[in-house]
Amino acid sequence: MSTSGGGMMIEVSDLEIRYGEVPAVNGVSFGVVRGELLTLLGPSGCGKTTTLRAIAGLEQPCGGSIVLAGETVYSSPGKNAASPRRNVATEKRGVSMVFQSYAIWPHMSVFENVAYGLRVRKLPRAEIQRQVERALTLVQMTAYAGRSAAQLSGGQQQRVAVARAIAFSPNVVLFDEPLSNLDAKLRAEMRVELRELQHRLSFTAVYVTHDQEEALAISDRVIVMNGGRIEQIGTPQDIYDRPRNRFVADFVGAANLIAGSVRPGSASDGSAVFDTATGLALRVSTNGALHGDEDTVALRASYIHLAAAGTGGATNAARGRIQRRLFHGDFIEYVVSWQAGQLIVRRPPTEILAEGSEVAVSFAPEHCVLLQRT
Amino acid sequence: MKYLLTPFVLLICGSLVLYPVVFLVTESFNVGDPGQFPPVLLGLDNYTNLYDDARILGNTALVACLATIMAVLFGFTLAWILTRTAIPGRAVLERLLELPYYMTPLVGALAWGVLAGPKTGLINQLWRLTGGGDLVDIYTPYGIAWVMALFEGTVAFVMISAAMKSMDPALEESSRVLGAGKLHTALRITLPMVAPGIVSATIFVFAEMLGSFAAAFVLGVPGRFYVVTTAIWQATLSYPPEYGRAAAMGLSLFLVMLVMLGLSRLILRRGNYATITGKAFRPRALEVGRLRWLLLAICWAYVGLSVVLPLGALLLTSFQRFATVILAQSIFTLANYQTALQMGALGSALENSLVLGLVVATVAVPLVSILVWIVYRANAPGGRLLESLVMFPQAVPRLVFGLGLLWAWLYIPIPIYGTLWLLGIAYLTVFLPLGMRTMAGVVLQVDRGLEECARVCGASWLHQMRTVTLPLLRPGMVAAWLLIFIAGVRELGVSVFLMGPNAKVIAPSIVNSWLTSSSELSAAMALLQTVTVFIAVALLFAVVRSVARGIAVRAGEPL
Repeated sequence: MSTSGGGMMIEVSDLEIRYGEVPAVNGVSFGVVRGELLTLLGPSGCGKTTTLRAIAGLEQPCGGSIVLAGETVYSSPGKNAASPRRNVATEKRGVSMVFQSYAIWPHMSVFENVAYGLRVRKLPRAEIQRQVERALTLVQMTAYAGRSAAQLSGGQQQRVAVARAIAFSPNVVLFDEPLSNLDAKLRAEMRVELRELQHRLSFTAVYVTHDQEEALAISDRVIVMNGGRIEQIGTPQDIYDRPRNRFVADFVGAANLIAGSVRPGSASDGSAVFDTATGLALRVSTNGALHGDEDTVALRASYIHLAAAGTGGATNAARGRIQRRLFHGDFIEYVVSWQAGQLIVRRPPTEILAEGSEVAVSFAPEHCVLLQRT
Repeated sequence: MKYLLTPFVLLICGSLVLYPVVFLVTESFNVGDPGQFPPVLLGLDNYTNLYDDARILGNTALVACLATIMAVLFGFTLAWILTRTAIPGRAVLERLLELPYYMTPLVGALAWGVLAGPKTGLINQLWRLTGGGDLVDIYTPYGIAWVMALFEGTVAFVMISAAMKSMDPALEESSRVLGAGKLHTALRITLPMVAPGIVSATIFVFAEMLGSFAAAFVLGVPGRFYVVTTAIWQATLSYPPEYGRAAAMGLSLFLVMLVMLGLSRLILRRGNYATITGKAFRPRALEVGRLRWLLLAICWAYVGLSVVLPLGALLLTSFQRFATVILAQSIFTLANYQTALQMGALGSALENSLVLGLVVATVAVPLVSILVWIVYRANAPGGRLLESLVMFPQAVPRLVFGLGLLWAWLYIPIPIYGTLWLLGIAYLTVFLPLGMRTMAGVVLQVDRGLEECARVCGASWLHQMRTVTLPLLRPGMVAAWLLIFIAGVRELGVSVFLMGPNAKVIAPSIVNSWLTSSSELSAAMALLQTVTVFIAVALLFAVVRSVARGIAVRAGEPL
């Protein structure tokens, strides 16, 4: 009964999960292509972890269906009696998972932890030895095989958890905020390593995080979730450049939101005139048909140019004054006051402007994204 | 599976726990023939007659108040010294201070009876050498309260320590940084933060003291000084037995205690601000300079009064024909131990207690494991109901529950009344809360992810249980086993009603021997019981260092 379309590894349809009466996941549908790394991104309580756990069979959905590699592992009892309820046990789903708490068994050695999934599958002793070594090598933990799990640091536990998850060569690996307990530097390193590992072993991965930077960096595609629903699905570039609504624009990356309305009849050639509430006229890209209820323009902080006063003259240009300059190292953040209130602007550290100086603010129409009223 | 298991377990536990209570309630309204069930004459006389016992209520209030004041005073002082000051040997002292609890108030009362009885008491004997009369008399309300405070007050120490330990030291440090002095910080920050814990502990201890039996029994009954618990016991022995009056007193006591325990919990929950985060802090110890030798002396004095002196007195007495501190007059003998260990009625009492402890612990641990799994892990429907049901015996004073069990099994057509079987079933019922608490503490510590990960790795439920869950729970199961064994060996409240002539157990036998024969023999028996318990306690501390810390004391396992 399942439709296994073009290399789909995971298909989630109309997933619904409730805790008591409270809906945690409310009609979520998406597919993951074989070998893809898909990230579920959202604030805490948005249903991303619940969705992931439902794929692993650790959470009881109350509606919808989940198909893994063409096999239906969960389906709710359909309206017609012809489609009975299906719910394959976690251990029969053949997925693997890295837990947020790492879940390293404290009563076993590192080797035993990693060998667990292989032993369950009753592989010959020599094969287990070989596979554990391979997995530990991949995460650079061979030296620790004999250690008790209780003697490991957080970062080491994380590596063991990853080794254990990939040791039995699963087709699907689920990651539940695997890096959230690491410090910033280690997190950045592990991000690269996980991506490398996923490419090398080409497993399909679903990755849950609340860190938008991590999501954009690591994913093939990102799903932004909020309140148990999907807000937007797209490539990291898509999500960043063309947020579909106020929530996505605000949650992913630093965006300035400017209130106003589209001037009627001004749409032409994929752009339109947007009158801000403060009386500025901006040229913005329409990126398809207008709905008529667009009331906000989102403008990424990095896409705004600043120049010494008087040098403007482009399409969207205005005068502003630098209120504050915050040096971040990798970039400089300016708080600029202009006619439409305040703008957050990020510039490379090579462009230094003094606090209090007058500047010309400009940005391209294609970076002004119209958002519908929500 | 969990849908089938839960109703079944609910039924078993329900009948074990509720059946005796039904009898108790019914009997309390019985104003006709006390031996009749179901009763033919119902009325409130048993309750209205309680007013006639004003003297008993007064006695109870007096003893409970005195004992609570002393216990909280001791508990607060010790807790403050041990958690907040830098005195040498803190770890050892913390362990030693739990010992009085394991010694039981019964043994404590006997020992203090030997130490401070009029005329024959060892302290009074010594004092008379200096030419005085009797220095102390333990057979008074003050003596009873003293013993109760020493041997049942441990819970105050544990609760207040917990309140002090759970306070983030940053709260005090920020006060200091903002310019407040030590005293100002103590009054404005520390005290308000720990106050709910102390008030809650006080009420809790008071409720426990109201239901306390052993000390008032050993030290009050000889002088016809009765508190509610001993009056209940007395009522069942009179002829004709006043079961209705006993039940009415028992239920009233239960209700009063229930309200107080509820209040204690409410205060702790309401007033806990940020103190109880579940995280244990080790607050920065105050540097107390020279004063620390005084503080250290206070701690060791407490250990001396509650452990060393009583055990020393029992040891000395148990090896003598007649108890005396004047060594020149003493006649040393092993006869007391020979009598105690002989395979007569006394010897079998010790053996029976050991067998009961072993069997009940062995049966209870798997049962409790299943219960805990149903309640805390399986999310089965009815789990919460099951929890409150199983925890219910803890709220009932042990003696009152014993009273209910007495009738419940007297009227059942299975002929187990007066046998070890009945004692076993009764023990199992009243020890379930202790087992539940111990196991729940361990189960809740085990991150659910550890189990889930095994499933994701491809292990079946059974394989996961065998390779992950059970190995992780093993320390907790060992702890629960040992705690239940200890509780079994020292059980008094239930046994005092259910013991038969052919099914004696140790604690009530010690009391009988104390009331009817010699203190030397009782001392020997008390020491044998204490040694058994201490061996188990030593095992407990060795096997499960982190799990067992004060679990029994915190679980409020009464005797």
